[in-house]
Amino acid sequence: MTLSPGETVLEALLRAGVETPHSCRAGQCQCCMLRAIEGAPPEESQRGLTEAQKALGFFLPCICRPTAPMKIVPPDDAGAPQEATIRAIEPLSEDVVRLRIETENFAYRPGQFLELIAEPGLSRHYSLASCPEEDPFLEMHVRLHPNGRMSRRLSADLRAGDKLHIAGPRGTCFYEGVAADQPLTLIGAGTGLAPLYGVLRDALRQGHRGPIRLYHGARDSKGLYLTDELQAFARARDFTYIPATLDTGGDVATLALAAEAPRAAHTAFFLCGGENLVKRLKRDLFMAGASMKAIRSDAFTPAG
Amino acid sequence: MSSLYERLGGEAAVNAAVELFYRKVLADGRIARFFDGVDMENQIAKQKSFLTMAFGGPNSYTGLDMRNAHKRLVAKGLNDSHVDAVIENLDSTLRTLGVPEKEVREVAAIANSVRDDVLCR
Repeated sequence: MTLSPGETVLEALLRAGVETPHSCRAGQCQCCMLRAIEGAPPEESQRGLTEAQKALGFFLPCICRPTAPMKIVPPDDAGAPQEATIRAIEPLSEDVVRLRIETENFAYRPGQFLELIAEPGLSRHYSLASCPEEDPFLEMHVRLHPNGRMSRRLSADLRAGDKLHIAGPRGTCFYEGVAADQPLTLIGAGTGLAPLYGVLRDALRQGHRGPIRLYHGARDSKGLYLTDELQAFARARDFTYIPATLDTGGDVATLALAAEAPRAAHTAFFLCGGENLVKRLKRDLFMAGASMKAIRSDAFTPAG
Repeated sequence: MSSLYERLGGEAAVNAAVELFYRKVLADGRIARFFDGVDMENQIAKQKSFLTMAFGGPNSYTGLDMRNAHKRLVAKGLNDSHVDAVIENLDSTLRTLGVPEKEVREVAAIANSVRDDVLCR
């Protein structure tokens, strides 16, 4: 598609009859946001977006007048599925397994999520706990639900060497736009630890110098996992690991909010877990003074 | 004479105001319920759009957008008292940021001018 002189990408799309959401046409409401997967969008067209969105090539077509060719896709486009091979399925706790898979050319940032496709009609989203610079595999943490279809496949049918498909990655919950000396607080529950573990390792690898705190909530101590690894980080770095289990009276949101609210204005937050937990934390931290741009989150929605 | 938007500080002023304004709105018991379940990131972008309009800055405001955006809330009981509360929070945001009285009144007047669209009248 060729743009007329002075035309914006949005104008060109509408002229071509492409139905695309838009409203203010002035780079304000962000409802027309698209993503460039080839070619860099002009800086001006990324005004007001988060650093993570900019890094992924998101831009606002209503204020985008490109000077070079770009290949653009809808904001939630996951791309074509590709084949992956299971390398390991191992228990991490009573009901969480670690799934490691290998694939070719899958560029991602730790903390993003992918779509795991076991067979046509059976797919789920999982966050990435691995680091592309350090791990030759993609790692996900999967909570096994007694009646979950994917859970049954992973616990009963699939084993190392089996093939499946993945698509993605997606999501902006990764270490970007955080100052190296800024306090960094990671809060999650259950397998919300997976993306946080990825972000933590990425932050340390990139030389984060500010204090890091990680709150991990579970129903009881059996629901905690990776505790040895996290305690080892805590011995070696300016890192505090705070497990919170319901059976000992520690609701992770209440505990984290009480500690974090007074310093919320200067902290970068990553929030991962169930939708209610993430919504509550996001709202309360924002009200306590955290900037919305300093809060990255990934809420899990249950699947059948 | 420069525009109200420029006198207030342009986009930087909108950026400074938007989170403070939204915090005040969410903390206001008279109107907070209209934001229940609303995605905050999305909403902040819309507040930016609204403030740019209220400051008289570049925007393609159409009453139609405003009506569509608020139709659902009018059905939930949105009325003049709630618009008053929003404008009150906008006033207090600008005062907190040290905006002079004359400009505060100009912003309020622009915000007030979209009242009928917001209430779908």
